[in-house]
Amino acid sequence: MRLPKDSAVITIPSQPKYLCVVREAAARMADMGGFDASAVEDIRLAVDEACSNVIKYAYGGDGGKRITVRFRNTVAGFEALIEDSGPRTDPACLKGRDLDEVRPGGLGIHFIRRTFDVVAFDERKRNGNRLRLLKYRDRGHEDRHTGT
Amino acid sequence: MKIDIQEHKGIKVFALSGEIDMSSSPVLRSELMGLVSRKVPVVFVDFKDVSYIDSSGIATFVEGLKAMMPYGGRLKLLGVPAKIMEIFNFSKLDKVFEIYGNVEDAFKG
Repeated sequence: MRLPKDSAVITIPSQPKYLCVVREAAARMADMGGFDASAVEDIRLAVDEACSNVIKYAYGGDGGKRITVRFRNTVAGFEALIEDSGPRTDPACLKGRDLDEVRPGGLGIHFIRRTFDVVAFDERKRNGNRLRLLKYRDRGHEDRHTGT
Repeated sequence: MKIDIQEHKGIKVFALSGEIDMSSSPVLRSELMGLVSRKVPVVFVDFKDVSYIDSSGIATFVEGLKAMMPYGGRLKLLGVPAKIMEIFNFSKLDKVFEIYGNVEDAFKG
């Protein structure tokens, strides 16, 4: 299979011990894409949270499934497509708890949304889910990147 | 993640190192809730050597704190690295937890 330029694909078993692999890949790709250290760490956390949600909600803790993450750096920004084969996720679940409420849980989606400009399920995927995460570059970086 | 449970001037200190994530937080939860179930009055958690924490790790501390509140227990976080502090701030949990620079400050607080 040919990969698009500046891209990488990683597939992990749906087990928490493999999350370190996918978040490291996310951070390396973001770093290669020219994001600063703070943005790289934000991306590391947000991709980790998205994959954790797949394990918890789409797979209900079943460690025998797979999660595929496609990373891509473009002039526009950094993109991660997170695919699973679980039951269709209700997009309404992309809402976290009220941050003024103090209770365990419900923070992961906030960490995803504070990092990525686009957080959306791909409605065209027939089986399973494909979550698209896109972080735009800041304009200054784009200017440096393209030499404009 | 590694958990080193020390005792400093009679206070239990969780010295954590490495990454706290969905894989390691159940171990942390078990250790922390073990102390809480014995109604240990004060627990320090030293974050100095923690390189990463996700929402499951944060949730573990929120759960621990909420379980300590009814008996007047205190959970003090110390040495929190800037990037992790940013997560506590964003989550508005910096106003909920007692957070100190180091163990000496935590004793004074």
